[in-house]
Amino acid sequence: MTNSSVIQVQNVSKTFGTLRAVYGLSFEVPERSCFGFLGPNGAGKTTMMKMLYARALRDRGHESRISVFGYDPAHQELQIKYLSGVVPQEDNLDEELNVLQNLLLFARFYNMPPTKARQRVEELLDFLELAEKRNELIRNLSGGMKRRLVIARALLNQPRLLILDEPTTGLDPQVRHVIWDKLRQLKRQGTTLLLTTHYMEEAFALCDTILILHQGKKILQGPPKQLLAEHIEQYVLELTEHEANTETLRSRLSDNVRIDPSGQTIRFYSNEIEALKSVADHLPAGQYYLRQSNLEDVFLKTTGRTLNEKQ
Amino acid sequence: MKSNDPLLYPPLGHRLFSVWYRHMRVYTQHIVSNGFPPFLEPLIFLAGIGLGLGQYITEDIGGRTYLEFLAIGLLVTASMWTASFECTFGTFIRLEFQKVYDGMLAAPITANDLIIGEIFWAGSKGFFFSFAVLTVMCVVSIFGNVIVPLPQALSAPLIGFVNGMMFASLGLLVTSFVKTINHFNFFMTGLISPMFFFSGVVFEIDRLPKNIQPIAEIVPLTHSVRLMRSICGDDSTLLTNVWDVTYIVVFILVVGYFAVRRLKKRLIL
Repeated sequence: MTNSSVIQVQNVSKTFGTLRAVYGLSFEVPERSCFGFLGPNGAGKTTMMKMLYARALRDRGHESRISVFGYDPAHQELQIKYLSGVVPQEDNLDEELNVLQNLLLFARFYNMPPTKARQRVEELLDFLELAEKRNELIRNLSGGMKRRLVIARALLNQPRLLILDEPTTGLDPQVRHVIWDKLRQLKRQGTTLLLTTHYMEEAFALCDTILILHQGKKILQGPPKQLLAEHIEQYVLELTEHEANTETLRSRLSDNVRIDPSGQTIRFYSNEIEALKSVADHLPAGQYYLRQSNLEDVFLKTTGRTLNEKQ
Repeated sequence: MKSNDPLLYPPLGHRLFSVWYRHMRVYTQHIVSNGFPPFLEPLIFLAGIGLGLGQYITEDIGGRTYLEFLAIGLLVTASMWTASFECTFGTFIRLEFQKVYDGMLAAPITANDLIIGEIFWAGSKGFFFSFAVLTVMCVVSIFGNVIVPLPQALSAPLIGFVNGMMFASLGLLVTSFVKTINHFNFFMTGLISPMFFFSGVVFEIDRLPKNIQPIAEIVPLTHSVRLMRSICGDDSTLLTNVWDVTYIVVFILVVGYFAVRRLKKRLIL
């Protein structure tokens, strides 16, 4: 392929009845990079991913275009699926079969010769640290093992693109770090990664580019560090269950502090840590938390702090 | 990683086979609990009718004893039951509860491949269930009274296969409308059970009231059962045979087409 973009999406929308799940979305995913969709539930992340491998069809429109490896999912889904691996949001392994059988059965879908399939399955069991569990039934696996097995299944055909829908949701921190590590390894080996997540650390740890989606629309896009630098102040002072008089606090603030109250918590944002420290000095210890701002702050600032009807 | 050629995705035949193989592999994983009952059921039926109810029925039906008459029908109905269950409850559970199709559709197969593969699989289950009934009947015939005409009855699994495909298509079409799994009770009790009783399996269609007989002609089971009876040597005309075969082929194609079209909308958003 001459073009270095694995995925090109231009002006894509998806409507379910009267609901606009995705609206006028455009983005490109360069080869060998990790691209992340970030957004609240119902933002359109999963729908957008499904449109890439033809589990969902985009709305028809002249300027609307999707290309994955140069193929249009609406007409050439088999080529795309043959080159890609998909890790769906929910684990859907065959409960009747054991770990090894699950993988060997799935290898059939790729028309892999049996000896090659066996060899590839062994490689993947080793890679995802599941070799000892090869004969275990699915119901005896922990959530983290099931997730790793689904990832192994998606890697059977040595995909050039790996699509992951919330790869680590609901998993403990150890498993999460193991999975992140494996995904980074895959990227180094040349696999392009596309993932959705709610976890800001995950997006920060893995993604070269993040696209923040909200109600089907693109809010922000860029490298995580750049989003932090451009869209949020460097420091935050968080006051939980504040009893202090907000008015007196406000009087102590210099102009370059932004106040963001929400529920019981009040947050002061500023690029000057001294400005925040001077506020904190007048507060009893334990009532406040002074920290560097993170992606979550960007996310909440851009998508709002209140729940929408789909959350 | 080695780059693979996208044009090497598996051809149609292989894609259908891999869907079929997936179902077969999962079904045979518990071969004893899945494979034994099909043999037990006809035995219970024969015992119940032969030892019990059959004692009261002394009248011949077309030159056969009642037990013989019923046995030929049961060769076919077994495939109706299994294909109907497979493509209603079975398909719905895979679709909504186990999310099996989410995994399968990530592989290089299309939704069409998946649904058509499902129909072939249910046909194969029909083959196996008819084969099980046939085996029991043959064993009983060897050691006791002859209850199925041999060798003609050996064709039963093939009729079971096409009958299974018919009921698979019908089941999938029903599934495409169903929102909760409980709705299938209407289908089973309202359509499949009546078919068992009024399609010439337990008594001849001629015995139905004259104005109800055309209804029996509309439903699928009548045709596969009549074809089976014809193969077994019962009186039939060439015209009825042609009509039955045509009905079966057209039914599978037309109902199958709409089942694929409608169910696809549930798989592809």
